[in-house]
Amino acid sequence: MPRTPYTRPVLAGLTALTLAAPGAAAAQWSAGSEDSSWGVDVSLILEGIYFNELSHGNDSPAGFGDGHDHGHDHGHDHDHGFDDGFNMGHSELALNAQLGDLFDGVLILGFDDSDIEVEEAYLTTRALPGGFQVKAGKFLSDIGYINSRHPHDWDFVKRPLVNEYLFGDHGLHDTGVQATWIAPTEMYTQLGVELLQGDQDEGIAAFDSDLPVSSKSGPRVATAFAKFGPDLGADHAVQFGVSGGYVAQTGLAEEHGDHAHGLEGDAWFAGLDAVYKYSSGRAYGHGDWNLKGEYFYMRQSLDQYEGHEHHDHMDWERAGSLATKQDGLYLEGVYGFAPRWEAGLRTEALGLTNDAVEGSHHHGHDYFEVESMGTSYRHSAQVTFRPVEPVFLRAQLSQNDFVDDHGHRDRGLEFMLQLNVALGAHGAHRF
Amino acid sequence: MSWRKTRIRITRTLATLASVVFLALLLLPSQAAAGLNIVATTSTLGALAREIGGDEAEVRVLAPPDRDAHYLDARPSFMAALRRADMLLEIGAGLEEGWLPAAQRGANNRAINSGQPGHFRSADMIELRRSITLDGPNMGHVHEEGNPHFNADPLRMAQIATALGERMGQLSPDHAAAFMERAERAADRLRNHAETLAEKVAPDQRIVVYHEDLDYLEEWLPVEIVGYLEPAPGIPPTARHLRSLVSDLEGTEGTILYAEFQPPRGAEFLERNLGWSSHAVPLDPPADSSLDGYLDLMTTWAQTLPQR
Repeated sequence: MPRTPYTRPVLAGLTALTLAAPGAAAAQWSAGSEDSSWGVDVSLILEGIYFNELSHGNDSPAGFGDGHDHGHDHGHDHDHGFDDGFNMGHSELALNAQLGDLFDGVLILGFDDSDIEVEEAYLTTRALPGGFQVKAGKFLSDIGYINSRHPHDWDFVKRPLVNEYLFGDHGLHDTGVQATWIAPTEMYTQLGVELLQGDQDEGIAAFDSDLPVSSKSGPRVATAFAKFGPDLGADHAVQFGVSGGYVAQTGLAEEHGDHAHGLEGDAWFAGLDAVYKYSSGRAYGHGDWNLKGEYFYMRQSLDQYEGHEHHDHMDWERAGSLATKQDGLYLEGVYGFAPRWEAGLRTEALGLTNDAVEGSHHHGHDYFEVESMGTSYRHSAQVTFRPVEPVFLRAQLSQNDFVDDHGHRDRGLEFMLQLNVALGAHGAHRF
Repeated sequence: MSWRKTRIRITRTLATLASVVFLALLLLPSQAAAGLNIVATTSTLGALAREIGGDEAEVRVLAPPDRDAHYLDARPSFMAALRRADMLLEIGAGLEEGWLPAAQRGANNRAINSGQPGHFRSADMIELRRSITLDGPNMGHVHEEGNPHFNADPLRMAQIATALGERMGQLSPDHAAAFMERAERAADRLRNHAETLAEKVAPDQRIVVYHEDLDYLEEWLPVEIVGYLEPAPGIPPTARHLRSLVSDLEGTEGTILYAEFQPPRGAEFLERNLGWSSHAVPLDPPADSSLDGYLDLMTTWAQTLPQR
């Protein structure tokens, strides 16, 4: 990936600016005004989830266990794995301000009962000519569809498997810059590129610092995306997206007392997404349809390293290379079957192509190899009631049909009840 | 390694493809716009802009007139339209807050940013009625600035026409005189038509409406709002609320009005139990109307009421 010496200071500067923006804007607080053009909008999203595991299946899908929660101590339980019984869910405090008509500043803090995390903190320009816009700071990448949406915008309780296992528990979510351009055409056409630091704990861009290879300097992830939306009149609306990215460094390490082994390399991914909405024109969403689907494919090209402890330090040597191929998809549909009531179905597959890394043991010797593994599935059904606009109550049943690394398939059934309330100046929703 | 080469080849192909698409889009004629390219959120505003702009303006309306303008999606086609707009014409006061800010932000067009002359917010030009959303329990649908459904008031629309003519003149100084003249004429026609219609309606009419979206009829017709079908703004009618309306209004005369997109059941219940007539009416004129479309709509509203 080409990198100029300017990238780092520019990124750092933009990020600092972004982090400073909400603070500066807070000085011009104007709570309560409907005309929020110059003030700060505050919204609070509170969520509670009742979770009940009716039957226990495999914990994680084959081929994704290692990269997902390998060797990383998250230090907190903000990973949206639910306990049986009551859970805090995913709550957010969002601040949104405008700096004249030059910038929008956004700060979104995600929290549960024990942790607070800066989910997003960024500036977007509003005054660039020619249909351009630049976003800088920490943000959710605009690849795919669901990746840039916060949980309260989702139609199902949990993040789709393909997004969770390819990009991590928070999706592709990183510090960097994004540039987009909207074409001056009849059909909505958006092109965008992102440069991201690549500072990920999980998923395709995770990197373990125990590896003998020095960590490449950021930004380590580059993405590109395009979205298209033809005008289909008052009843129908559709948007198609294509996106992809290159990860300059990914890797994992495993230590087993006196020896260790690790993988380091690069990766790329590409995906397609589509969303269709039908508006019936009836009140309270009655008769509306909402269909969406996404597919992502990723490849990693990895070098294998073996380490042996020698006088208190690990001696590493390179031992061959591996290439992995994995993918996943989901399709979901939601229908407003009565005023304020919705029902939805989602089906997901992970690892339709699943040539994944597997730890092996042979002649007293640990090493990684690529093995073709089975496909895991998950099927979910939900019913949602929206008594008033900012509140929803959702009941969801999910069947996990995961295959494990040894090819054993086991099904688990989960029930979830989700209550989500948006308080304050709740911002407009994107398509 | 061979697949690294494949990757380089793929990357090159993609890069070439992307540049071709980019150039094609840049070179595409961005629609030879005749004069001012105006995007209006509702068809009432679109009708004013068309009347004032004449041949010197191209007007596109976002919200379908038979839909509730509170609840729309920030569609890709909206952003494509706003990307090319010289002017965004909105109602404001919270009517479009669920979708317009997202569409405006996603359009990457400075000309229509809040605070720019290309952003015309109608609610800023007039005095609003107090919204009943301030009275009830806070159900997340509070219009502190006032009732945004002033499209039902031709007198306020007349004020807006004048302000709009002036603003359009600032954006297109060559046509400023013509815009102003047409705006004044439109304002006069709105006031005269309102007066003519009001004179024909029998005095002291009482009406029940669904939402606060027809409250502004009180401003120009001899009517008084005596009840709402919704128990609180944004909440569908409940049986208990409808029964209490019936017991309050029993033995009196009146008319029930609701918007075409609102469920008719509550109105039908009142019609059965009170013997009042009920009418589903449009709230905005057809999407491609000019001022005549809006004047016809005023007639429709006025003629649902008993005439002298």
